[in-house]
Amino acid sequence: MWTSIVLLLISGVILFIYTKLLLNNEIEEELYSNKARLEKLLEEDISIKGVPPIMEVEQVLKPEKLKVSDTLIFDPSQNEIELFRQLSETQEINGNYYRVTVRTMVIESEDILFAIVFTFVGIVFLAFIFLFFLNKSRNKKLWEPFFINLDRLKNFSLKSNKSLNFEDSEILEFHELSTELELLTSKIQIDYRNLKQFTEDVSHEMQTPLAIMQAKIDTVINDESTSESQFVKFSSLQEDIQRLKQLNKKLILLAKIDNNQFVNTEKLNINNVFQDAIENLKELTTTEINFIDGNTINVKMDKSLAVVLCNNLLSNAIKHTASRNPITVRINNNVAFVENKGAVALARPDQIFERFYKESKKDESTGLGLSIVKKICDYYGFVPSYRFRESEKLHIFQIDFNTQL
Amino acid sequence: MKYLIAEDEKELQQSIATYLSREANVCETASDYREASEKLELYDYDIVVLDINLITGSGLELLRKLKEQNKKCGVIIISANSSLDDKLEGLDLGADDYITKPFHLAELNSRIKAVLRRGQFGGNDSITFEEIRLDTLARSAYVNDKPITLTRKEYDLLLFFITNQGRVLSKAIIAEHLWGDDSDLLDNFDFIYVHINNLRKKLTKAGAKYIQTAYGSGYKFIAD
Repeated sequence: MWTSIVLLLISGVILFIYTKLLLNNEIEEELYSNKARLEKLLEEDISIKGVPPIMEVEQVLKPEKLKVSDTLIFDPSQNEIELFRQLSETQEINGNYYRVTVRTMVIESEDILFAIVFTFVGIVFLAFIFLFFLNKSRNKKLWEPFFINLDRLKNFSLKSNKSLNFEDSEILEFHELSTELELLTSKIQIDYRNLKQFTEDVSHEMQTPLAIMQAKIDTVINDESTSESQFVKFSSLQEDIQRLKQLNKKLILLAKIDNNQFVNTEKLNINNVFQDAIENLKELTTTEINFIDGNTINVKMDKSLAVVLCNNLLSNAIKHTASRNPITVRINNNVAFVENKGAVALARPDQIFERFYKESKKDESTGLGLSIVKKICDYYGFVPSYRFRESEKLHIFQIDFNTQL
Repeated sequence: MKYLIAEDEKELQQSIATYLSREANVCETASDYREASEKLELYDYDIVVLDINLITGSGLELLRKLKEQNKKCGVIIISANSSLDDKLEGLDLGADDYITKPFHLAELNSRIKAVLRRGQFGGNDSITFEEIRLDTLARSAYVNDKPITLTRKEYDLLLFFITNQGRVLSKAIIAEHLWGDDSDLLDNFDFIYVHINNLRKKLTKAGAKYIQTAYGSGYKFIAD
């Protein structure tokens, strides 16, 4: 941009100087030839006066030297003062001296400059317009495969089973880019699928050894020779197996959601699902559960996932409520709130829905309950969130169902 | 009763056989598809415990054969896969129950008993233990022929105790039997106390004291 401006300026100056030089030469040539013509006429007839102010003949007393100069003369026809270049020299005819002066109107520097600038601007403007439209249409064609590929990349989903195909281009760089992207995305997809498969396989493969361990413990516990201290150890082993079992079950559930294996979508009343879950939990806990029913939420989702969603939210609240304070379920404006008392806000609330995130070490849960909640919400487009209300020391988990309604 | 345990994991197979043969049952075992298939053709069993993934073939295939031959035996499928499709396929083919690994032997035992009650004896819907009698159709309990009022869970608990009489049952086993998947919603099994204590009080009041605490944290239902 700047270089082209500098280039234009320099070439403009050179053109200006050159044009001026050229014009000066031309004018002087013309003056000389006009003077010669006038002198010839004067030799034939000394009485001629010329055509002032272009040509003038004047008798003078003594000879003068050849002189080229500039002069300003008022031009009454244009009513302005014009610049003339004049050439004068005396000539001796019959002992008398005659001064012959020829003049010609000079094109003013500003005019030249103006012409040059005007021409340049015109050229630049035309070139700009021309190049702009040319580039635009050309670029559109050139970049078309690139933008198509970019669009496909934006819509790329790891979970989809379809591999990405990219538009090929004759441009080498674009061709390489699409080949590399194709390789990369297919590799990512394969890795992702393998990882998912691996989790699922491991979970399934673990079931049998777990079953053997559990069966053996069941047998040992029923041995007459088992002592009380052995029984306590075996029971705690059983509880560990139980935890592994839960972990497995939850991992399999996560894998199933990932694999879109929940297709029995039906119209469900979330309020009812919550109420059933609360009734169910009342047998399992002494913690009081309050239910405040604001409005009815009807959603379309798999029934078993809805039950898991409500159960996980409730059991999380019951497990973590401070000193068995009652927990509250509120449904309002298509948002479900599950609230429990706490002492302090979570240290890292942004990670609460992550897998295996635990606030404290003593927590014996699998650390998957809330990540399952998140997964189910993501699957159906609900929005889960968490906040801590300092004034009442309340942990509040909320699920916004509005997005699906 | 005669049982066949078709399970390719020897350790699990033996544990099941040991547990089940305590009540004077005959337990035969099969470790692969061929062996199971042979035994099923040669002998009659009251209950077949069938693993879906037998090394050399599918347990479901065996089940199909069994049903083609019109054999009258109860079939309980065990599988490492908790997917609903497998379960439905198994039950569609005529299995009587389906249990997912890992399971408690007491749970398997109680499922077998339930299948036996429903099946072979044309609906023998009465279970007796000393002076206690359970009517499994009406889901009601009697002590010395006098009805006692039990909640749904207390009834299930009593039935579970009687089917697994003489065995030590931990709180985890009981919780899982009574509440299934919901039992892992909470980290502790304290809630079991409430139900067991209520049942115990009701039985004691009627004069039947059989629920014993075993090793401090387990339970055992046993005649003195």
